[in-house]
Amino acid sequence: MKKRTRIILTVILAAVFIVILTLLDQGVLGDNYVRRVLNLAAIYSIVAVSMNLVNGFTGLFSLGQAGFMAIGAFTVAIFTVPLEYREAIFYISPQNPILAQIELPFFAALLLGGFIAAGIALLIGAPVLRLKSDYLAIATLGFSEIIRIVFNNMQSITNGALGIKSIPGVKTMWLPFGVAAISIAIMKLLINSTYGLAFKAIKEDDIAAEAMGISLFKHKQLSFATGAFFAAIGGGLYASLLTSVEPKSFYFTFTYTFLLIIVLGGMGSVTGTVISSFLVTLGLEWLRFFDEPLTIGGVAIPLFRSGLRMVVFSILLMTIVLFFRNGLMSNKEFSWEGISGFFKRLFSRGKKEAGSNE
Amino acid sequence: MSETVLQIQNATMRFGGVLAVNDLSIDVQKGELVALIGPNGAGKTTAFNMITGVYQPTEGMIFFKGETLNGLRSDRIAKKGIARTFQNIRLFRNLTVLENVMIATHLHVKSGIISNMLMLPNARKEDKERREKSRRLLDRTGLLQYQNDISSSLPYGLQRRLEIARALATDPTLLLLDEPAAGMNPTETEDLGRFIQEIREEFDLTVFLIEHHMQLVMDISQKIYVLEYGRTIACGAPEEIQSNPAVIKAYLGESSDEDTQKEEAACRGQASSFRMKQSEMKEE
Repeated sequence: MKKRTRIILTVILAAVFIVILTLLDQGVLGDNYVRRVLNLAAIYSIVAVSMNLVNGFTGLFSLGQAGFMAIGAFTVAIFTVPLEYREAIFYISPQNPILAQIELPFFAALLLGGFIAAGIALLIGAPVLRLKSDYLAIATLGFSEIIRIVFNNMQSITNGALGIKSIPGVKTMWLPFGVAAISIAIMKLLINSTYGLAFKAIKEDDIAAEAMGISLFKHKQLSFATGAFFAAIGGGLYASLLTSVEPKSFYFTFTYTFLLIIVLGGMGSVTGTVISSFLVTLGLEWLRFFDEPLTIGGVAIPLFRSGLRMVVFSILLMTIVLFFRNGLMSNKEFSWEGISGFFKRLFSRGKKEAGSNE
Repeated sequence: MSETVLQIQNATMRFGGVLAVNDLSIDVQKGELVALIGPNGAGKTTAFNMITGVYQPTEGMIFFKGETLNGLRSDRIAKKGIARTFQNIRLFRNLTVLENVMIATHLHVKSGIISNMLMLPNARKEDKERREKSRRLLDRTGLLQYQNDISSSLPYGLQRRLEIARALATDPTLLLLDEPAAGMNPTETEDLGRFIQEIREEFDLTVFLIEHHMQLVMDISQKIYVLEYGRTIACGAPEEIQSNPAVIKAYLGESSDEDTQKEEAACRGQASSFRMKQSEMKEE
């Protein structure tokens, strides 16, 4: 395929996305519910790609994503709630007097959350990244729980289990989608650079990578901190989408949603992760009808009750793991060549079958 | 006078109660091709792992061009100029042949993360140079036609060659080859021997290799160390090793203990006399 054709196709695809997004944003298409679900999917895609950077590209089995999200979410919550609401929110114990006087613009708080998360990632990474596979998973999972419990008990900073309300909300779809596009582009650039190649080398064989002069510590830290940074960015957007946060939302099961997304999308594929972020978020919403009572011809089907959604979802997951272990995209990325190749194969198979029928 | 590239002084490696390498002393001069042989389990690969920082020797010192390697991590040692291949091939299996070699040039990258992500002019230039260098190495090792293939799809012999190409990409002065001819037929082994000698001249390398193919070892090496149960039982030129009773005993099970002890003492003598010479030089 010619370079020009590729560019034209890419521009057309981008234009289609922008038009759809504008229509949605202006309220021509869809309703508030649809907008909200799509915003959530965009935010999830940031966190999922950040998790894939660490797990899929660098081969570090880290389950700390919910903890880093919590850091981002609470940073945004603490610094963006208008000063006049503070007293009403922190009614059990007053907010820390220094924090009670600081209000930051949204983007400043978002970035601050990212940098705090990255800093903490560097701190805990120093001991934890010496561990491998399941040991690392346990350690990072533990970290995520520590964050949640600490937030639960820092009454004067995070308002404890009550959480923080009245966070200025997301008013436009361009915010989550724009931040997602920029974040994913940055991570993609990192993956494509020589440092990204070093990450992949560490994933493939860390002993060989180290023998070739790649500092395991430095590169693992780089990947882990970048992953934490963008998980916190996702967390910050999540807080402003929900307009309220509480430590309970960052329970470790939250991390499993992202684990599911990256396994479904393909460990080591950014495109796959983005696609599956939308599939999983929309799927979880779409499957909601399983949770509601269903009556067919006057007979109430007894199975349809609250909780069935998760059962169906888990069965779908098992099927994927059993039959499509590499996920949607395995470690491949979107390319026009790939798409045209796919259609060519489809077409030639159809022709062959037609030929054999004759 | 020739320069000592690698010097191992009385290195011992213990794993709990197992003595994998016992009081090993080896000297490798610049430009030399030295072989380390011995029966399976003699501790040859452990010796390599001590040199490259995979293991830290329990006792003893290792010097590279006069600087100690003790306590250094593998990547620091690679940056100093020691590259290695592995006994059980350790390629980056799911990456392409070219990527495998490119990764080995990463240690010399000078441009920062940001300029690399954005491919700023300095990073772009560096990337181009690394790519060209990698392609040259692939061309030299006869792998250029496979550059875009996934490395694990290469036939076994070519995978071994790729490991050597990858090691060369780190710009080493000392190349450690761990059984490069394992699993090769006699013709391939002969080719490999020639290839090793060629690259040694071309890249101005010092080569230290572990090998079981005696024909290859005898043909190309200038000095041979023989290891058995973690101890050096003999060292010297190929002709001396071939007729050495201790070596014959280790491989075939003959001769008496007395010979072994004599040989061992001789080896130590050689290494220590060298050390004396070196300390004299320092004093001057």
